[in-house]
Amino acid sequence: MAPVWTDVRAVLPSTVCEFPLHFSEKIELSVLKVLELARDELYSEADCPAAAQRAQVIIDYSWEKLNTGTWRDVDKEWRRVYSFGCLFKVLSLCHGNPSQYNIQEAIKTCDMGLLMGAAVMDNILQRLVGVLRNKMKTKSPNRAQRSEEPCSKKVKLDCVSKPVINPAHAVPRIHCPSLERFRSDFLDPQKPVIIEGITDHWPAFAEHPWSIDYLRTIAGCRTVPIEVGSKYTDEEWSQKLITVNDFIDRYIIGTAEDGVGYLAQHQLFDQVPELKEDIRIPDYCCLGEGDEDDITINAWFGPGGTVSPLHQDPQQNFLAQVVGRKYIRLYSPDETKYLYPHQSQLLHNTSQVEVENADLVKFPDFSKASYQECVLQPRDVLFIPQQHWHYVRSLELSFSVSFWWS
Amino acid sequence: MTWFGFGFDGFGQMRPAGVSGQASCNVNTPVLISDVCGSECGVRVRASWSSRADVHRARCGSHVCVSGFVSGSSEEDCGAVLPESEGCTDALISERYLTLSFTDRVECWEIQHPQNKLVWKREQDNTGHAVALPLVSGGYIMPKPPFFRPLCSKLCAVSLALGSEHAVLLTSDGTVYSWGSGSHGQLGHGALTSQEEPQVVEALWGVPIRAVSAGNWHSASVSRNTEQPINEDEKKEADVFISIQAFPALVDVPNVSEISSISCGSRHTAAVTGTGDLYTWGWGHYGQLGHGTENSTDEPTLVDYFPSHHMCVKDVICGLWNTFVSAVPKEQPPS
Repeated sequence: MAPVWTDVRAVLPSTVCEFPLHFSEKIELSVLKVLELARDELYSEADCPAAAQRAQVIIDYSWEKLNTGTWRDVDKEWRRVYSFGCLFKVLSLCHGNPSQYNIQEAIKTCDMGLLMGAAVMDNILQRLVGVLRNKMKTKSPNRAQRSEEPCSKKVKLDCVSKPVINPAHAVPRIHCPSLERFRSDFLDPQKPVIIEGITDHWPAFAEHPWSIDYLRTIAGCRTVPIEVGSKYTDEEWSQKLITVNDFIDRYIIGTAEDGVGYLAQHQLFDQVPELKEDIRIPDYCCLGEGDEDDITINAWFGPGGTVSPLHQDPQQNFLAQVVGRKYIRLYSPDETKYLYPHQSQLLHNTSQVEVENADLVKFPDFSKASYQECVLQPRDVLFIPQQHWHYVRSLELSFSVSFWWS
Repeated sequence: MTWFGFGFDGFGQMRPAGVSGQASCNVNTPVLISDVCGSECGVRVRASWSSRADVHRARCGSHVCVSGFVSGSSEEDCGAVLPESEGCTDALISERYLTLSFTDRVECWEIQHPQNKLVWKREQDNTGHAVALPLVSGGYIMPKPPFFRPLCSKLCAVSLALGSEHAVLLTSDGTVYSWGSGSHGQLGHGALTSQEEPQVVEALWGVPIRAVSAGNWHSASVSRNTEQPINEDEKKEADVFISIQAFPALVDVPNVSEISSISCGSRHTAAVTGTGDLYTWGWGHYGQLGHGTENSTDEPTLVDYFPSHHMCVKDVICGLWNTFVSAVPKEQPPS
């Protein structure tokens, strides 16, 4: 195996001229000076003891800019600066003979740049992760509870209640409908349905069946955002950034000490392209107006007991279940008057009512709302029409993939 | 009166270039700022992220010297004197702009390029009570266009602290107002919403305040009669842990009876006690807490350097990631 630095260096442009640092006027000259010093040092023969610190200065300064104002208002230039900071930090970590710890730190840094920054130099951070991943020695299965069968594992919250579906309220199921049939019977009238038989060809079920061990191999060392807390409307709810390995150890296999953790609403497949190859965009998305590039694909991975409170989204949704089962309840937008949405700007798409533990004294009209429900199984794809209220609770270890399209 | 500095020194704003080996850009314990000549004149130090501006006030004239990024490669002892600043009484420096206050006018100079450029100017009358920048008569100056923002004169503003996206105002009767972004609780109103117009910080109503200061995401104020600083709405960062406090909370500075002044950096706070001690707390990754480490802490901690060198701290001014302190030798007790 070639030394780490050789392979990392090969990803960089060969000359300093091919490493431009062009930014808009928004970026102050003082920061630009630090960026240029960091870049120039890379191409000089001299040893650079201050390189790590310089990278950190760039990261810390741009981090402060990223946290000023709303995310929407953050100038993309500062996100690019942040990515450059991450790049320089990665390079200083990989110098010489980096330890496994340093390589993991470098991967984490690439991930921070990918998550919070904006692509620079032809998405160099993504290319670096590709190189560094192969330098990580795979985690040896030295823990007590390691198994190929995710469902057989004794995971947390075993006492998760299994709901019985009332046939009067069941979401209808259909097997491989034609595009026309789907459009006329479900898309146009905006009716939920579970589509069967359209994911069997996914590598996630065939060549590379998804399991905890598979996820560790493909993405164990990658840093992802995790939601901690029983649901996002709770005061105690927070987000943290940890590796997939840590998430699995602490929140999937581990004891309930750390609370409920959920890798939710994360564009994991942009971050880990290898996983994207295991899934396919449902054909029915072509019935929408947007391009394939406009489709947002999110991963939802967590133990039994994760809850997404009743809420609505502005786009059509195909929710594909890959591992484990989820209880889902759906309310049409016509029922909104019975659902008590929060007043605040931040949460106006979320109901105040706890669907499986409704306070009918506080929310009396909730019992008037008509609904549909289902237990979504692996290989099922649930069509959730735009603005349809939905509540989701995982019944066991679960991995879902959602496709938001218009 | 000598000035000391500690914290981020990536641009030589603390130690002129070439003085030490400069392996690190962090100064963890206070160093003497040799180029602040303060013998005959009073000097006020102002700091931005990359630079420092010293406002020299002498009987025969006053001016501003700059050091750090803005001064270019000036290695003169006194930093670079800014000719534009002859006669100015006060200054504020940010990354892009230097605001200069004169008796008859206020000016904003753009300082990004080798040639400083005057970008804004306004006449002002020499009113009886002088207010400190960023306050000017009729309003205040922001470090970005359109620079001047009006303030309702009924407010009787005496002091204004500008954070990166919020403002904290102190009025003549000791009331505190705040406005701007509230997402980190920095406004002290109890919610995380933003305010466009100055709102009274109700939780401090009835407590006469005598000084306010603002960091990037937090605010601090000192009450008049009693002791403790009140940290409104902290965003403390110790690695990944962030805490948000949307109401003012009393900060417990142990064994201290009175705070005389307070200043905030982007994520740290420094307070001077009535007995001449300096306490710091918050983010410390660049040594800006002055405790000899790069640790952060949310407990106000004494900066040991000053008492161990028999110095009595008089004032403190924080740059974004550093801290500047003026101190005098402690009086020897009579034998």
